[in-house]
Amino acid sequence: MEPLEIFTVETTEPSEAASYESILKDIISELAFSRTIGRIKVRIRPEDSLFMMVILLRRGLPPIKAGEISDTEFDREHAKVVITVRDEKTIPQFLDRLWEEFGRQNVMQPQRNIIEVASDIETVDKFIAELIVDDPEKTIRERLADMAIRATPEGFRIRYHSLDSGKFVFVASEDTMQQDWIDEANVMLKELEGDDS
Amino acid sequence: MGAVLEPYIYEGGIHKHSLILELLEDLGGYLVQKTPASTEVTLVMLIPKKDVHLVEDLCKKLLGKLTSAPLTGTEVAVVSPTLASHHLPHSACDIAEYIRRGGANTNMIGLARGMGRRVALSADYERRLINEHDVAVFSFGTFKDCIINKKPKLFEGIEIPIVVTGGPDIRTEEISGADIYVGGIGRVAHRMRKGHELDAMDVMNEKVGEIVNLKRENIAKDPLAVLPARLMKEVQEQVPDILNVLTPAPITLQLDGMRIKLPYDRYHEAVGNIVFDEGFLLSDVANILPSKMKDYILVKIKRRSEVANI
Repeated sequence: MEPLEIFTVETTEPSEAASYESILKDIISELAFSRTIGRIKVRIRPEDSLFMMVILLRRGLPPIKAGEISDTEFDREHAKVVITVRDEKTIPQFLDRLWEEFGRQNVMQPQRNIIEVASDIETVDKFIAELIVDDPEKTIRERLADMAIRATPEGFRIRYHSLDSGKFVFVASEDTMQQDWIDEANVMLKELEGDDS
Repeated sequence: MGAVLEPYIYEGGIHKHSLILELLEDLGGYLVQKTPASTEVTLVMLIPKKDVHLVEDLCKKLLGKLTSAPLTGTEVAVVSPTLASHHLPHSACDIAEYIRRGGANTNMIGLARGMGRRVALSADYERRLINEHDVAVFSFGTFKDCIINKKPKLFEGIEIPIVVTGGPDIRTEEISGADIYVGGIGRVAHRMRKGHELDAMDVMNEKVGEIVNLKRENIAKDPLAVLPARLMKEVQEQVPDILNVLTPAPITLQLDGMRIKLPYDRYHEAVGNIVFDEGFLLSDVANILPSKMKDYILVKIKRRSEVANI
């Protein structure tokens, strides 16, 4: 799926779709979402106070495990484990988790990409192997909610949303939520998936 | 009565700008607002019509720019349904900025519960605050249905002229309660600087100017007992504490009065006791009221017909 390969906005008054599309484009670029969204379809019926948005996300990046981006070795002389981190971006989260586990006084960072832990190598290795230092999917989920709220017309505070394996369905209104709307949004999702489903 | 005054804005370097102020005083004009910004200064002035060329010549000599500012001396309320990110900073702030370029002072008013369709409403306090201004500009969104059918209930109780801005093309008559509708300025999530957006803003300024002129003509039929600009000068001379007020416009002129940004409780008597050369007091020719904005003083000048015996 190419980034933003389908971008449709439907409104009751066709001339209003273009201006709403421009609002959505601004929001998408502001949240740096353009490479994450594959297809998006929005339907707005102001007379029913209804806003529906379905999004197909492109395949996201897998979570980054600490074991994959660092090497450990034991410094016998000082009785500590030296961790060399290869991916600099993850160091803040990495340090946070090590501080939580081993305590601040036992974790030092003498150089930018080197972390020293006063512990034995088996414990550290075991901890690092399972440690997830960055989860791009999780940040996307948070930003997606932010985007949906920003894109909704103001005052539509009754919301339904679901995110299931990269398929996002969002319905908002200022009146009581109706099952028909949710069903309609799911039909929109099916249409958007087209041949891929 | 004095000479006819024309509103102008000077934009130029701060160096030697006091020469303009001296000339203005000699000519009998008024400085409405002075905004210094590092090495630049913006002066909003009322210049006697027949002497405008003198000021123009001096401005040219100082390498500054003198432009006509038809909205000078007006206070405009820019009202958005709420203060949420749907309206601010774009487009409501862009609208306010553009109106200020015309010389007006603007106040942004975000209603507490103006959002949505069925649930939109305004509070009594908000309506009274809006009514203190000369013109209200309501900034609405993209959908015709909302602007025509749902949002006009926000105009209830507004007694001043109402300008409505929104995205679609609608005829003014379709929106009940609106005096003028300006299209092409709907909800946007970016700063308005594209050609067609700026064109729409120009139209808006023009329309607001028309409404202000209508109101001015209406006032001219039965003129005010004192010109607001003259009263402003008297306030500065006789209530010197106003010079210590740090807001950008300590005295904000309106078409039929002004807002003096001093606490009402402590200063309304001093303001009422301002004496004019003719011998009357301000309290004889104006209503001095507590403003709905903070604890400021609102002065509404009476018409000649009301104070005929002075």
